[in-house]
Amino acid sequence: MPDVASTKRYASHNSTVKFKVREEFDKNRMRHYVNGEVSVMHCHHYATLFTQLALDASLLNGTDHLIRTSFEAFHAPLIRYYEVENVKNIADRLAIAEQYFSFVGLGAIRFACNDRSAVVVMEYSHVDEGWLSRWGRRDSRVNYIGEGYIKAACAAAFDLTNPDDIKVVEAESIVCGAPRSRFDVQW
Amino acid sequence: MAIDRKKIINELSGLQVRGDDQGLIPAYGVLVQRIPVSFWNGFSKAILDAAGDDVGDAAEGLLENAAAECGYHTGHGIITSEEFQAVVSPMVEKEPEDILHGAYGVLTAWGWANAEITELIPDEKMVIRACDYYEHDMGPTKRPFAFMIRGVSRAFMDLAYGDPYPNGFGRFKCEQTRGIEVGDEYGEFVVTRA
Repeated sequence: MPDVASTKRYASHNSTVKFKVREEFDKNRMRHYVNGEVSVMHCHHYATLFTQLALDASLLNGTDHLIRTSFEAFHAPLIRYYEVENVKNIADRLAIAEQYFSFVGLGAIRFACNDRSAVVVMEYSHVDEGWLSRWGRRDSRVNYIGEGYIKAACAAAFDLTNPDDIKVVEAESIVCGAPRSRFDVQW
Repeated sequence: MAIDRKKIINELSGLQVRGDDQGLIPAYGVLVQRIPVSFWNGFSKAILDAAGDDVGDAAEGLLENAAAECGYHTGHGIITSEEFQAVVSPMVEKEPEDILHGAYGVLTAWGWANAEITELIPDEKMVIRACDYYEHDMGPTKRPFAFMIRGVSRAFMDLAYGDPYPNGFGRFKCEQTRGIEVGDEYGEFVVTRA
């Protein structure tokens, strides 16, 4: 994404930091830990059916819950990682967030940020491609889990605390036929 | 029954699973991801809290169905995978019962739950005991919360005794009769014909 990133102040291509992974399996409780976080393998059917449930539950603000839950699930591990590894540089934090996203199988994401805004591009997306595989193309977005992740990454990188202060607009979506998803972010 | 559960867990819990150069994990015939359990638990709790008593049963049913479809498709991928063929299949003497026992070894190795079959009447009934599972982390709760194990367990019975994949989904149902999250010592799940 050099065309967008080159116009921004913070981007991962200014970083050489590598995401460090510590994987453990607790044989007493049978739990997997990724950098201390209990993590579990699930499939795209599960992720897309949770998303469909959220969409169906519009009267219960289902997608808002999905976004916030995703924010909370990823913000804490990112913050903890930056503390443990002493990652203070914003470009480095964004690079870690990109690599963590890919490590867990959510796709390929790139952040390009100024102090109060960002353009985020997903070349590949577990949620979109899972949805396409299961149900095919649709005319509106589905990647609320990704939106939560973007909020978490921006908040963690810029030391923001309230996800409601971060506004995300998914301007292009793989699930709608775009070659990549693009999110415009402001805080 | 020749299934060596400990060997399955030892061999399959150490598999390296991580995103490829596209950040995706194509495996077992599906795309997988390995995100924090706090996401799955957190959304389930949030949507049930929002649903309240009015539509809580419906929301629980949708959460359980999401897990059942996951368990059906991914379960099929698991039992036909190279890993399963290499580690579990040599132990199988009686099909599909030994495959079912082996599948719970894999489920445990994946970190879904420390769960195993305690009773199995072929094509009729299966009882699962889980002495730990990540869904009970949300406890204490007023009602059983292990929708994932419920859904996956009935899906595994569908795979064992239903029509050949992908046409055998939905022949069984599962009731959670005990739960750590509601104060019991372990979780118990009873699968019977729907």
